[in-house]
Amino acid sequence: MLSFALTVLLDGISYGMVLFIISVGLTVTMGLMRVINLAHGSFAMIGGYVAGYLTQHGVDFFLALLLATVAAGLLGALCEVTVIRPLYRKGELAQVLLTIGIVFVVTALITEIFGAFPYRVEFPVYLTQPLDIGFRTYPAYRLFLILVGGIIALILWLLIEGSLYGAKLRAAVDNPRMARAVGMNVSLLFTATFIVGTALAGLGGAIGAGILSLEPSYALKYVVLFLVVVIVGGEGSFKGSFVAAMALGIIDTTGKYFVAAAAPYLLYAAVFALLLWRPQGILPPKSLA
Amino acid sequence: MATPNPATGLGAIATGQLSVVGHALPWAIAVAFFFLAGGYLSFGTQVLIWILFALSLDLALGYAGIVTLGQAAFFGFGAYAAGLFAIHVSSDPILGHLIAVAVTALFGLVTGALILHTTGVTFLMLTLAIVSVMFEYANQATKLTGGDDGLQGVNIAPLFGLFEFTMFGQTAYLYALVVLFIWFVIAWRVVSSPFGRSLDGIRQNPRRMRAIGTPVWWRLLAIYTLSAAMAGSAGALSTHATRFVGLSVLSLFTSGIVAVILILGGIRRLYGAFVGATIYLLVQDWSAKVSPYFWEFIVGLMLIATVLFLEGGLMDLGRVMRSVLGRIRKADSK
Amino acid sequence: MRKLLSGICALGVVAMTGSASAETFKIGLIASYTGAFATWGTQFQNAIEAFQSIHGKSVKGPKGEIIDVQLVYRDAGSAGPDKAKQLAEELVLREKVSMLGGFELSPHAMSVADISKQAKVPIVVMNAATASITRGSPYYVRTSLTIPQWGQAIGKWAAENGIKKVYTITSDYAPGHDAEAYFHKSFKAAGGEIVGADRTALRETNFAVYMEKALQAKPDAVYMFQPGGSPSISFVKAFSERGLKQAGIKLLGNGEFAELYLPHFSDDVIGTISVNHYTETNTRPENKIMRDQLIKQFGEKGVTDIASVGAWDAMALIYIALREHGASADGLKYIDAMKGKTLASPRGPIMIDPEERDIIQNIYIRRIEKVGGKLQNVDIATIPMVKDPWKIDNPVKR
Repeated sequence: MLSFALTVLLDGISYGMVLFIISVGLTVTMGLMRVINLAHGSFAMIGGYVAGYLTQHGVDFFLALLLATVAAGLLGALCEVTVIRPLYRKGELAQVLLTIGIVFVVTALITEIFGAFPYRVEFPVYLTQPLDIGFRTYPAYRLFLILVGGIIALILWLLIEGSLYGAKLRAAVDNPRMARAVGMNVSLLFTATFIVGTALAGLGGAIGAGILSLEPSYALKYVVLFLVVVIVGGEGSFKGSFVAAMALGIIDTTGKYFVAAAAPYLLYAAVFALLLWRPQGILPPKSLA
Repeated sequence: MATPNPATGLGAIATGQLSVVGHALPWAIAVAFFFLAGGYLSFGTQVLIWILFALSLDLALGYAGIVTLGQAAFFGFGAYAAGLFAIHVSSDPILGHLIAVAVTALFGLVTGALILHTTGVTFLMLTLAIVSVMFEYANQATKLTGGDDGLQGVNIAPLFGLFEFTMFGQTAYLYALVVLFIWFVIAWRVVSSPFGRSLDGIRQNPRRMRAIGTPVWWRLLAIYTLSAAMAGSAGALSTHATRFVGLSVLSLFTSGIVAVILILGGIRRLYGAFVGATIYLLVQDWSAKVSPYFWEFIVGLMLIATVLFLEGGLMDLGRVMRSVLGRIRKADSK
Repeated sequence: MRKLLSGICALGVVAMTGSASAETFKIGLIASYTGAFATWGTQFQNAIEAFQSIHGKSVKGPKGEIIDVQLVYRDAGSAGPDKAKQLAEELVLREKVSMLGGFELSPHAMSVADISKQAKVPIVVMNAATASITRGSPYYVRTSLTIPQWGQAIGKWAAENGIKKVYTITSDYAPGHDAEAYFHKSFKAAGGEIVGADRTALRETNFAVYMEKALQAKPDAVYMFQPGGSPSISFVKAFSERGLKQAGIKLLGNGEFAELYLPHFSDDVIGTISVNHYTETNTRPENKIMRDQLIKQFGEKGVTDIASVGAWDAMALIYIALREHGASADGLKYIDAMKGKTLASPRGPIMIDPEERDIIQNIYIRRIEKVGGKLQNVDIATIPMVKDPWKIDNPVKR
């Protein structure tokens, strides 16, 4: 019984890690730039497809991950400079619709290039087998996700709390006007952050392909999940997105185990109730709290 | 708002600039289509249904500034209500339609009351959550909704006992046209009334409106409920016309598409819904023959271009072209 | 001068064929070419084109007239049944087809029942397998299978071959319900015990949870039912990833292990037992003709599966019906022509049930083995001429 409970927990945490890696970029850019970006899932998707293509053609798995991350970051840079920048001053509606437009374009291109069938990332053999963790066997893949997610969370936390860039970022999120007033190059900060966010999304899409399967409808299908993590966690809050991702992963997985049929709508109902109770999210950054 | 700006749809109607001919044209086309359409009649009915759906969103989104991606919740609610009513209570279409509109309006009232105090991204997320809850619930409540298989066995009695709903679609088309006309008149009256004008103010500056004593929340709730009722009506039309309800009426995709349609056509124009729905469905129908996903690409590009360059949607195209040409002429003459 | 001559020649050709003037019979084919079920459309179309390469694109009608058999293909996009219904309406109203065919998904097939009645158009179901479909309208005829034929066969075989406890994981749509119901019924009737049953969402690709629950129940085997393609591939991957194979649990399946999908699986699937009405590598002469033609026309893409054989036999029956009744007969006449007909199909002998208009055929139990370096289904048992059990359990009320 205990081993079963532990399995459910590990499943939930590994799922949450994927959601975190993908969504952390979104929460920072939404909190920082105040832009609603519904196209964020597309970067995860592109990262996944690049990794899939490379691993299917014999490229080393970790190299493929690196290239996928870089590709997503580059595309993020391109997008930010061309179509996202004009959105800073336009209203919510414009942001929502333009980013939906990006999703459509990316979805159509992916279908054209890779076909409509779900696309596989070829993980190395040792990641597709169950691993003996003492009291039972458990998929190595999931342990890998928890490891990678944990490392990334740690690095990001050190970066945001401990580095100059992190301090500038936090300042700009908490009070953008003041940040500009003290001479910070806010637009460079925006661009750099956007790139890091999309690169991370690409990585998340690539390693998470075993849970969030890659298909052309990826960006549309999962955007609600990423938005839930961001908004429930509190826009701009790194800690909030981590907590929300873990909570979402664990609740969703537990729900599937015990109330399988009801799980999806109970989850969204819970999100609804939570947002009514705490509209700013559970751990919003200071200026919004 | 001092003098109404003739450039906006509201202003145009207010200053009587949209002449009688301008108003009559879309309806004349719709009636002519009935006689000329041949095998495309049911396509036309689909266009009419989406026009009504987009019109409902125009009231909430365009005029009142309520940024919602959850309009499909009302469309789907109305569709399933009409379908379930036809199966379990009575197959009379008029009664079913009225009941569907009433329960959807109630649903809109309740959800609006719960969420309209929030704004921005939180509000957006709440609307997304509502649609998602409804979709997932309908998906697993297969005994009630048929789930993925859809609601089977929806039989609609002939309209007024005389006009049958067949696959050839004549009854459905005229029925949809009449319903659309009735709602259009209601929408037009609402937006040109003082209430409608106050919505314009609320959209632009809610704080100021509160400062002058406008009951902002109640006005928003009222328009949200009206918008929900209209969307529910469109859903009921869909059920009656196709004699079928599938899960897609509640999908996030449907919710997104109706917003896309409205923006493409032009928000705050009322007729923008007409332009947007027609163009979108035509593009989809035509490009489906080229390749099944080509239309997504085209629509995506159109959307990006519209947001960046054509804020008033396609209805604004004339004005934008004129200003571009004007600038070119000025540059030439220098 | 040359133009005049060729014009006269053309006139002459028309005049000669004028007495046996060409009529057209249009068939609208609705299947998915994109989305999760994208293979079906292509498989149907390839088989139809291969059939027409051998048997010609036209048939001679009862009065000797030449009937051109034209196919109009439409993509249902793996979308909901409303899409299929809309396409059917378009095909009947705009393209003026006289018959509809295809339908890999049961919801799609079911959605066109009232169109068939209103437009008086026969529907030839080439794959959709929910048992009740053919009862939806007198215009339905099916050349593929019914799920109860499969579920009953493998349930009985499993109980009779040393499997005592089974955990079933089936897809939550009408064919999945049929599979679950009939497996449970025949397995228990033969003495087996069902230790658990789960239903998964139709487009589910993440089966970790279900695998875990199955593992906890300690069955001898897991019986799966998933639509062929990505759901089944993900299912089998999860099956070995989560350690069920290591725990010695067997896997029982159905169409998920068709030859078309085997290249996507690893050697982990060796030993899997599946039930089907068509074993692709069988050595019947009719099968050889079909397979050879498909490879000749489509190369690597010419893999045959149940879609191919469903479409192939459908065309054979349609040609028979056209020969009997010509291009402009009433829809029900074509259905009558197909009732009771027997065919030597590439799958084995088949018959169209004259009362139910449904398929009666052999059902095969196969095991996956490695033959010549490739994964292959090998027949280990045959149950001859099975009538749909659901129809037997649910006779038409007179």
